Amino acid sequence: MYSVKRLEIVIDRSYLNRLLKELENCGIEGYTVLDQVRGKGERGLRESDALADIFTNAYILVACSEETAEKAVAAIRPLLKMSGGMCLLSDAQWVRH
Amino acid sequence: MQLDLFLSNLLNPPVLFFFLGMAAVLCRSDLEIPNAITKALSLYLLFAIGFKGGHALNQSGLSVEVIVTLLTAIVLSAIVPFYAYWLLRRRLGVADAAAIAATYGSISAVTFITASAYLDKVGVDYSGYLVAAMALMESPAIIIGVMLYRRYRDSTGDEGNTSDWGELFRDAFFNGSVFLILGSMVIGALTGDKGMTALKPFTVELFTGVLCLFLLDMGLVAARRLSDLLRGGWFLGGFSILLPLFNALLAVVLAALIGLSEGDALMLMVLAASASYIAVPAAMRLAIPDANPSLYVPMSLAITFPFNITFGIPLYHMLVKTLW
Repeated sequence: MYSVKRLEIVIDRSYLNRLLKELENCGIEGYTVLDQVRGKGERGLRESDALADIFTNAYILVACSEETAEKAVAAIRPLLKMSGGMCLLSDAQWVRH
Repeated sequence: MQLDLFLSNLLNPPVLFFFLGMAAVLCRSDLEIPNAITKALSLYLLFAIGFKGGHALNQSGLSVEVIVTLLTAIVLSAIVPFYAYWLLRRRLGVADAAAIAATYGSISAVTFITASAYLDKVGVDYSGYLVAAMALMESPAIIIGVMLYRRYRDSTGDEGNTSDWGELFRDAFFNGSVFLILGSMVIGALTGDKGMTALKPFTVELFTGVLCLFLLDMGLVAARRLSDLLRGGWFLGGFSILLPLFNALLAVVLAALIGLSEGDALMLMVLAASASYIAVPAAMRLAIPDANPSLYVPMSLAITFPFNITFGIPLYHMLVKTLW
């Protein structure tokens, strides 16, 4: 096992592609996306209606080095400011396999 | 007789299923249609209407009349956002006014499809190429809404994070629904009668049933979104009904000028009066991030759409019948 930073982001689904592009620009090569997730926050209920696709969120999970995580946080902050959502940064242990 | 038009429209199964969906929310029923199925139903509807239109175009061919009608449709959808924006600015900020103006300049394919089901029921024909008019009317308003926003917004706005024009044009002209309608139309036009014979059981016979299920889901979503709008007050509620009426009047004048038939004139009115709730909101969310989607989505989905499919279509038909 070795130490990594875990980056968890919840963002308006409309912004998903732009966010992933930003992450890749920061040198993040792998991520996991949970698409169409529901929730409630500062912008009200995000119900994930198929019709009004813009009222739904996506969840992105990333494991990376501390340096990359800092770069990524700076890059995605403006997007989060526009779309709402959240970004959590925490310590994690990567299990070698 | 005029009452007949209204009754005939209200007793149309798709319209009744829409209200069933709304009723389910009001009764707090747990009725739900899974997202993936709604998506599939909407793809089916766009595919079927596009294919049908393409087949009709194959039969009628491209004529001057077709081209004039298509151009009129494009001009119509391009001018609506200008006066809508001007009206909305009396009460709203630049971002909200531009996003709502784009929503109303664009069209709703399902309103068009419901109107086509209505015309089938009352036995009036319309030309298949109007499906192309529908697809072409979806995009210009998106571009104009964003142009208005960029022209008039506070210059201190954060420029770097809004979409660039390339992304915007892609969203406007190649978004899934426009792409599928136009693509199916081309296939319908290329394959002609043979294609239609092969696909008829799928694209024609199943059509009304699928439309009913889709409208059931729209009823559910519309009723859930309606509460968002009640906070918006009477201005936006009134706007959501009066602007479509005005747009329909403008359309009927243009239809008379270019000499459209009864069914075609009605369809052009329906297109002008309808507002987008799928393509435009998706584009606006990226291009005008500071506009509030809790205004522009419920206005078109929870007020304009139900108004058009219940009262609008027969009302426009009545007007066309009186004038033609």
